[in-house]
Amino acid sequence: MEFASFAVFFIIACTLSAVLLGISSLLGQKRKAIREMDIYESGVNPVGSATRQYDIKFFLTAILFLLFDVEIVFLLPWAMAYNGAPDQTFMMWGFVFFMAILLVGYIFVINSKALKWEE
Amino acid sequence: MLEAIIEILLKTAVILALPLGALPIIIHVERRGAAFIQKRLGPNRVGPLGLLQPLADVAKFMFKEEVHPSHVRPFFYTAAPVVALVVAILPLACIPIFAPIEIFGRSVYPEVFKSDMGIFFAFAASALGSYGILLAGWASNNKYSMLGAIRACAQMVSYELSLSTSLVAMIFLYGSNDIHVMVAEQTGYWFGFLPKWGFFLQPVAAMLFLIGIFAESNRLPFDLAEGESEIVAGYHIEYSSMKFALFFMAEYIHMIALSALFIIMFFGGYSLLPGMELIADRIPASLAILQALSLIIKVASMIWFFVWVRWSFPRFRYDQLMNLGWERLLPIGIANLIVTVLFVYFRNH
Amino acid sequence: MAADILLTFITVVFALMVVFSKRTVVAAFSLLMTLLSIAMIYFQLGTVFLSAVQVLINAGAIAILFVFVMMLINLENFTNNREKNKTKLIIATFTVLVILGVLALVINNNIETLSLVNLADNSMKALFEKLFTTYYLPFEMATVLLLAAIVACVVIASHGKKAEEKQ
Repeated sequence: MEFASFAVFFIIACTLSAVLLGISSLLGQKRKAIREMDIYESGVNPVGSATRQYDIKFFLTAILFLLFDVEIVFLLPWAMAYNGAPDQTFMMWGFVFFMAILLVGYIFVINSKALKWEE
Repeated sequence: MLEAIIEILLKTAVILALPLGALPIIIHVERRGAAFIQKRLGPNRVGPLGLLQPLADVAKFMFKEEVHPSHVRPFFYTAAPVVALVVAILPLACIPIFAPIEIFGRSVYPEVFKSDMGIFFAFAASALGSYGILLAGWASNNKYSMLGAIRACAQMVSYELSLSTSLVAMIFLYGSNDIHVMVAEQTGYWFGFLPKWGFFLQPVAAMLFLIGIFAESNRLPFDLAEGESEIVAGYHIEYSSMKFALFFMAEYIHMIALSALFIIMFFGGYSLLPGMELIADRIPASLAILQALSLIIKVASMIWFFVWVRWSFPRFRYDQLMNLGWERLLPIGIANLIVTVLFVYFRNH
Repeated sequence: MAADILLTFITVVFALMVVFSKRTVVAAFSLLMTLLSIAMIYFQLGTVFLSAVQVLINAGAIAILFVFVMMLINLENFTNNREKNKTKLIIATFTVLVILGVLALVINNNIETLSLVNLADNSMKALFEKLFTTYYLPFEMATVLLLAAIVACVVIASHGKKAEEKQ
């Protein structure tokens, strides 16, 4: 039942977007000018191809985001279970050790300046 | 069975109509608000006070020529705005606008998608927000677009971490991820006049979340990805007419969804604004409407705050932005979480 | 029932697209769609939290990583340098048949391959409580694994930088 409501919502959202695009393509003028088909680069002719070397920091950011996100997602069930837990001391110590290991990793990342963006 | 279908359709219609209907109003508020802050007049020709300006904009977008540049990848070029809009609309499905009520003997939950994951659905849907931008940047086959898209994605992803630390802290305090429980914990007053909002419980987490939602929706001061003076228009350079309008809409709806999340976690969600209980006590049947009104007023104030900040701050440089996210906000979020847990533990034991 | 069949079909279609499409970005986005359909299957099965986590982590971080890589290294098409080898084909078919046979045996005879966690109360809260008290050690091991991954990541990235600076 909940799935049905989500599916209906999703389909209506997709249909809405498709309809908006469809209206525009129906109602818009159609011309075949040549100049507008070029790549836009501040009004000058494009220089070089669209491929270039990107900084590895982007990739590192994505990977480290993944790892820290997994750590935080581990904490979500912990936070939900804490309030009704019978042994809250154990839960608290568990949290402390978890955070200690996470912080070791985090301090290592910051010290190594792997994510330090220079100007 | 029939009631279930009617209920689903009605809920979907209302939850979709509210933000989409508010969209022209928000655009108008943004332009007039910007003008007001910059000491000039905004659009005031079309209709009284320029109120029909958004309508004129919509008409313009519909009738503008659909440019098909020859160098773009066709399928992804058309798919990107659709993806962006759909992913922006998704978090709205789990946001309730009033407490569950009884209609004709069945209890009705006002959110479209009620499940055990509660507020996690909104965060999961926000996590998918980077894909519209990535698709747009890559499909345009343009150096500026690609660079803008990668930078926007890296930025959104970095600030999602501090957002999640705030979320963990608030779930820890409220004990549940169910939105109705969160709002119920925030009704009432301390000392008779201070509302029990999460903002007063956890100001640090609230500030982190606030900064995080500015970064998530790519709004100034974090809009380097689409900064007009930096890399022209970033990932939506090659887009015009309705596709650009869809990106525009997606950004505002993302803003509305994130504001609603912020209000739910830190400002009481649909709990009544101070003063409204007098009316609710006299007329019990109007509780739902008053709650919806409270939520709308709070979200509207939040949107005005977004507009206000946009026209008051200069843009961050990219390295400042990323260093802020990783080296300042994340440790503050983690420290806040540790302090909260230890404080609550030692207070109870 | 219909929803289950539809979801399974969608998942398999997208998974096949990941394996068989020649364009890298199409494969990466099909991976994203596969992970999202699996999240919906998890939701249908009732493990709602797992479904949310699947979208958050798998679709929202891992698939982004794949898409990033495909876009950053700008590889257009996968290079097709497969040579057709008869031996490989025979061994592959044999392996697939063995796996299918094992699956059929297990499913038909309801063999329990994992020890089940017995919970009096099957709700999410009870499960989480169990996770953080009785089964705390696997949780900490996962944390240490994440620490190892973080360190490895940073070391590999800066190794490349040091090599560059030496030149």
